[in-house]
Amino acid sequence: MSDCVLALEGIDKRFADVQALRRASLNVRRGTLHAVLGENGAGKTTLMRIAFGMVPADAGAVLLEGVPVTLTSGADAIRRGLGMVHQHFTLVPAMTAAENIALGGHGRLDMRAVAARVQELGERTGLRVDPSARIATLGVGAQQRVEILKALYSDARILILDEPTAVLTPPETEELFAWLRRFVAAGGTAVLVTHKLHEALSIADDVTVLRRGQCVLTAAATQLDVPALVSAVTGDDAGGPQTAPDRRTPQRGARVARLDAVSAQDARGVVRVREASLECFAGEIVGLAGVEGSGVHELLRVLAGRLVPSRGVATLPPLIGFVPEDRLRDAVIEEFTLTENLALRGAGARRGRMPWSAMAVQTAGLMQRHDVRAPSPVSRAGTLSGGNQQKFVVGRELDEHPALVVAENPVRGLDIRATAHVLHELAGSAAAGSAVVFYSADIDELLPLADRMLVVFAGHVREVAVERAAVANALVGAA
Amino acid sequence: MSIDAGEFLQASVRTATPLAFAAYGELVAERSGVINLGLEGAMIAGAFGALVGAGAGGVGAGFAAAALAGCAAAAVMALVVLWLRADAVIAGTAVTLLALGLTGTLYRALYGAQGAALSVPTIAPAAVPGLSHLPLIGRALFEQPMMTYLLYVVAALLGWWMARTHAGLALRATGERPVAAFAAGISPVRVRAWALLFGGAMGGLAGGVLVLAQVGTFAEGMSAGRGFIAIAIVVLGRWSALGVAGAALLFGAASQLQYVFQSLGWPVPYQLFLALPYVLTLLVLAGTQRRAAAPAALGTALTEDAR
Repeated sequence: MSDCVLALEGIDKRFADVQALRRASLNVRRGTLHAVLGENGAGKTTLMRIAFGMVPADAGAVLLEGVPVTLTSGADAIRRGLGMVHQHFTLVPAMTAAENIALGGHGRLDMRAVAARVQELGERTGLRVDPSARIATLGVGAQQRVEILKALYSDARILILDEPTAVLTPPETEELFAWLRRFVAAGGTAVLVTHKLHEALSIADDVTVLRRGQCVLTAAATQLDVPALVSAVTGDDAGGPQTAPDRRTPQRGARVARLDAVSAQDARGVVRVREASLECFAGEIVGLAGVEGSGVHELLRVLAGRLVPSRGVATLPPLIGFVPEDRLRDAVIEEFTLTENLALRGAGARRGRMPWSAMAVQTAGLMQRHDVRAPSPVSRAGTLSGGNQQKFVVGRELDEHPALVVAENPVRGLDIRATAHVLHELAGSAAAGSAVVFYSADIDELLPLADRMLVVFAGHVREVAVERAAVANALVGAA
Repeated sequence: MSIDAGEFLQASVRTATPLAFAAYGELVAERSGVINLGLEGAMIAGAFGALVGAGAGGVGAGFAAAALAGCAAAAVMALVVLWLRADAVIAGTAVTLLALGLTGTLYRALYGAQGAALSVPTIAPAAVPGLSHLPLIGRALFEQPMMTYLLYVVAALLGWWMARTHAGLALRATGERPVAAFAAGISPVRVRAWALLFGGAMGGLAGGVLVLAQVGTFAEGMSAGRGFIAIAIVVLGRWSALGVAGAALLFGAASQLQYVFQSLGWPVPYQLFLALPYVLTLLVLAGTQRRAAAPAALGTALTEDAR
């Protein structure tokens, strides 16, 4: 391909005893948007980090504009016109947008000149941010714009975006995609790493699918459809597992939780939830939506019994299962074994000696019931894949049949199989008589499962129809 | 007896000078994210280096040797912490203990047990014409040894460098979030190594000031915890160049206060007054909301995805 602006050929990479990439190749044509698809652990991020010079390949070649190059660092890649927007933002929260954008330069630092250029760049590209705003005060959408501006500031012509939509709301995603289309139309080139098949099909020109470190498919997006992608991604000819579980008409049982005019504050004392009232009933799945900063996270914590309301009355059942959004921060300790992590649940209420052997037996049972794939109950949690960690957390929280289950973005970052598994678990829990409150940043995950939909906007909770348009409007405060 | 305020201030600045040298070194190290408890070791190494250097080649050679000796102590720290990935607290403590022991041993080996009488050339205070006649602060700020004036220049340059150069930004970013610095093409390991070496050189110079501008001789363990006080100064100074200057002055004054109290003749054991700066250190470390202004990644090791 003569117009191939970035090519990776025959890339091998091994981490300790895991072969992350095996003769992986990628050809990105100039002026196109190229989607790289694959499940977690398929090697997408590793391949991109090699393209960006952050990780050396064991074998294979990186070609820029047809010329083989040896990139030894991110600085090298930036100098050659590559830019990368990482999945986990690489910004310094305590610094301003302009300072973050200037990071990595040389010589004198004239903050006023940097700010002026950022402003000018923002106006030209439509990526508007306040250069003097501290990152910590910006929402995720604005933070992502800063990341992109950072790349453009050093004249990147090839942008690599690693799971850029994972943290965005639907309007923010649309805005990003519209911008990306303009970027490639103007001659730029973009590589979009994602695990969302619809996303890849709707925006990309070309699609490459990685599975277990190998490229299994490269084609123009117009020649592909979802079933073809599912089978390429999962390696499953039957078209893969069904993503959303069937929801039969639910049997609505007794009321298990009730919030009465509840207000709640975040850690800094800002009122996030304002006089919210809601009820949850046994056997139903309540879908909950809300953008970052709407108070939805505080509301979930009130429901989970983790946050005491500043006003109002929360009547909650004694046993609540809580699947928090940030698994590694709030749900498991990576250095602990699975058994120890299981013992963490309710640890504050227990006294006396720890029945470790009984706990190990219990853990083994849990692993079997909830399809947690790990060598043994004493494997460290950190050695499990993200999907298996999440299956473990969900299993731990559901195993005692709590009257109320609060799940906060429970399938974020999971691959297709793990997503399907977790959603089935939630549906099963409702069928077994639990009240399930299910929050997701992705409306399309909520709608198939939810019996009712609640939307949080500016701290207020509102019930809306289980329809895409109704939820999308309520998210931004429209009628 | 009466106390001359001008004289008190002058003595306070004199006492603050070595503290500030070390504190500016520690400031840079901490802004890169490393707490260098080896600072005390760099200081005693610098003091010993000053003695050897000045004996061989005069005052200039003395200061050069002091900076080099401090650098050597910091190089050990950098090697062990950044490349061998040891815990910084343990490594720093070890470097300090090692330097204290090694300098004592070498001192006895080179100069014998009677070495206490040994004295080296010192630099006398040099008044800045005009400025030293300012009321109250004139003599305090502008009738000091040359090294104090050098300190003013270093402090001002450092403040400018951290805020107005890309290298300064890289330093701060490494202390705040090494992953972000790495993604921007900066090598956090290299930044931290240079920061530690600079800190060591400054700690060494602090030791040199003690020997060549104040005491005029070397004694075992003569750094006497000043390296640790310098670390407290950085905390009290809220990790800013200006704050460190103020905090160093405060500690200098507290050290001088002990002589004032002693001269008042109160029936209190003088050791209590001697302890004043150390008590102040403890109070500062306990009383400040430490995390508020501290670099976010201070005291955290570099992870594999940010090296």
